[in-house]
Amino acid sequence: MNDLEELKTLLFGAEKRALDSITERVQKPETRAADVADVLPEAIRLSHREGGELVETLREPVGECLRDSCRNEPERYADALYPVMGPAIRKSILSALRAFAQQINETIEQSLTPRGIRWRFDAWRAGVPFGEYVVQRTLLYRVEQAYLISRDNGLLIGHVHHQASRIKDSDAVSAMFTAIQDFIKESFSPDRSGRLETADMGEFTLWAVHGPHALLVCVIRGVPPRSLRGDLSAILERIHFRYGDGIRDYSGDTSTMAGVEEELAECLRFEAIQAADEKKRRSFLPLVVVTLLIVALMAWFGYRNWEARQELLTLQDVLEDTPGWYVADVERTGKALTVRGLRDPLAASIEEVASDAGLSTDRLVADLQPFQSLDPEIVYQRTLAALDAPSSASVTYDAGRIVVIGSASQVWIDATEQKVASGAFGMSVELDGVSSIDLEQLRADVAAAREVQFAFTEGTELSDADASALRDHVTKVSSLVSEADRLGATLNVSIIGEADAIGTVELNTDLAARRASLAEQMLIEQGVSAERLSTSLIVDGDLANATNLERRRVSILLEFDSPSPATDADPE
Amino acid sequence: MNQFSAKVCILGDFAVGKTSTVERFVNNQFSEKYLTTIGVKIDTKDVSLSGDVTLKLVLWDVAGTDRFSGVEFAYLRGASGYILVADGTRSRTISAVRTLKEQSFDRYGELPSVFLLNKADLTREWEVSDEDQRRLSEEFANVYVTSAKTGDNVTAALGRLGEMIAERDFPKTQ
Repeated sequence: MNDLEELKTLLFGAEKRALDSITERVQKPETRAADVADVLPEAIRLSHREGGELVETLREPVGECLRDSCRNEPERYADALYPVMGPAIRKSILSALRAFAQQINETIEQSLTPRGIRWRFDAWRAGVPFGEYVVQRTLLYRVEQAYLISRDNGLLIGHVHHQASRIKDSDAVSAMFTAIQDFIKESFSPDRSGRLETADMGEFTLWAVHGPHALLVCVIRGVPPRSLRGDLSAILERIHFRYGDGIRDYSGDTSTMAGVEEELAECLRFEAIQAADEKKRRSFLPLVVVTLLIVALMAWFGYRNWEARQELLTLQDVLEDTPGWYVADVERTGKALTVRGLRDPLAASIEEVASDAGLSTDRLVADLQPFQSLDPEIVYQRTLAALDAPSSASVTYDAGRIVVIGSASQVWIDATEQKVASGAFGMSVELDGVSSIDLEQLRADVAAAREVQFAFTEGTELSDADASALRDHVTKVSSLVSEADRLGATLNVSIIGEADAIGTVELNTDLAARRASLAEQMLIEQGVSAERLSTSLIVDGDLANATNLERRRVSILLEFDSPSPATDADPE
Repeated sequence: MNQFSAKVCILGDFAVGKTSTVERFVNNQFSEKYLTTIGVKIDTKDVSLSGDVTLKLVLWDVAGTDRFSGVEFAYLRGASGYILVADGTRSRTISAVRTLKEQSFDRYGELPSVFLLNKADLTREWEVSDEDQRRLSEEFANVYVTSAKTGDNVTAALGRLGEMIAERDFPKTQ
């Protein structure tokens, strides 16, 4: 190192080292890049804050980079955008579907009611679709349109509207609103501090929410709640915060306000006339009514089914308990109850059984075959029917046997005894208490003719009357003897011949004998067996009674021989 | 596609044909009753610019006056340009335009504008000579002799105004 160099080092050593260091950093790309990286974020921030040149400068290269990247690696960008596009698409579809569903729901709900029919007519008169008309009438409020208007020039920054709203030129509407507001402010607010916030137009209400650089004007159908204004203010504040300078300096270029309509779409709110819970309650009411009706119907059908089942079981039970019935099946066919089985003809009819059980007999159908039941009661009835007992005899059932007490014809008694002997009745029949009606009659007849006398005029001559009476009596006695024979009894006939005291005893005895013989002969001639006849004579020998002509007679006496059925009952 | 819009005020004296001039070329939305009730009526007109750009002019048809008062000034606020209209058959309406322009300049500064000398279909009744027109062309940058009846030059004037506004407010479209 020479003196000059040494002097330079002494004088400019520090500067030289700094210069060398700078030179080295400038010459090394890595170092330069590191330096730029240190200041680049701050430089971009400053440049962006001071003007739009940076944006304009970067627009072209960044755009080109994006285009190239998208073209070369579409999948990569699709993957990156997927989380954004999904919600965006869903939001858009949801918004459209919500409006559509609301319209459909309201339309269906109102379509069949009387009010719905009236509204349909009104909608036809008004020339609007029924669905839209229903929505208009059932909404508490709905924000139909929202305008974001520059306060500086009245230009429309953004505009959204409900699908069903009919809108005019939104730019013209925006300007006109601004003009009207200017007019009102100039005309009615001396210090120009007033501002139009609300206007009512028939079924529409117009709300203006004022921000520092823009105002949000909403056209609302119906009566909005107070809280809506706060919500709209929040939306306007959010727009001011997001767009800042763009909204302050808006001069008609919508590109500076890209995306503002998505923010405005938040304004398009609506609320139905009835609160949600009330709607739920109302919507549940028909369901509850229908459910109750269904339950009541099911209960009614269940009760009817149970009642029919009970009716069937009751009929089956009472039939099975009824003597002379064998029930194979009881079936309900439609409204009819069909009974299949066997029935003894002597058993109660199905109508009788049902009626006794309190069941209706209208719908009974019997599909029965006859049979002979061995039920004791039916056997008893059958025996009773077979006995065919006369009314003079009473029949009782006692300990498995039939006891007949009273009287009956001998023919019946004989026939019944034969049947009992042959076992034709199937059960024991006691006939000991039955007396023959024929024998009784015979006894009565005999009693009536027990002693009859016939007077002679003299000798063996009868008066005409007595002669005739004797002939009749002989005939009767003959029949009585014959009847007694038929009934197994023995009727004896005693003939007593008498004579008065006039004359000798021998003569009178002979006369009495001839008188008795006369009667005896007549009886024999009428068929009375001589075995049944006995003759005796009575001759009065006392002359003091000579004038008693009553002794000129013959008497015929009837007397049963033992044993006789009537003997026990004979009072004598 | 980006959209552009601009507020344009139509200024002029009574009965110079402001409303009639633009009426055939705009999207009418509001009744002229607004002119007499609140003093302004709004129409819009889409103007095609070079580069396949459309600019929507929001036309504020301010009620005719020869001098602005309070509310008219309010209507001018935020305007991007003016359409000044005078009646060729009444030379004093040019003076009214001049006054109105000065007032607006004083309040809101220099803005793009076109001057429509209207009622070209009544030239025989004109009070404005060719010399007057030449002087007007020097005084006002864009003077168009128009006819509300025939529509002559109206579209051209509106197109020119649109271009001037676009150049000033939306340079990136140029």
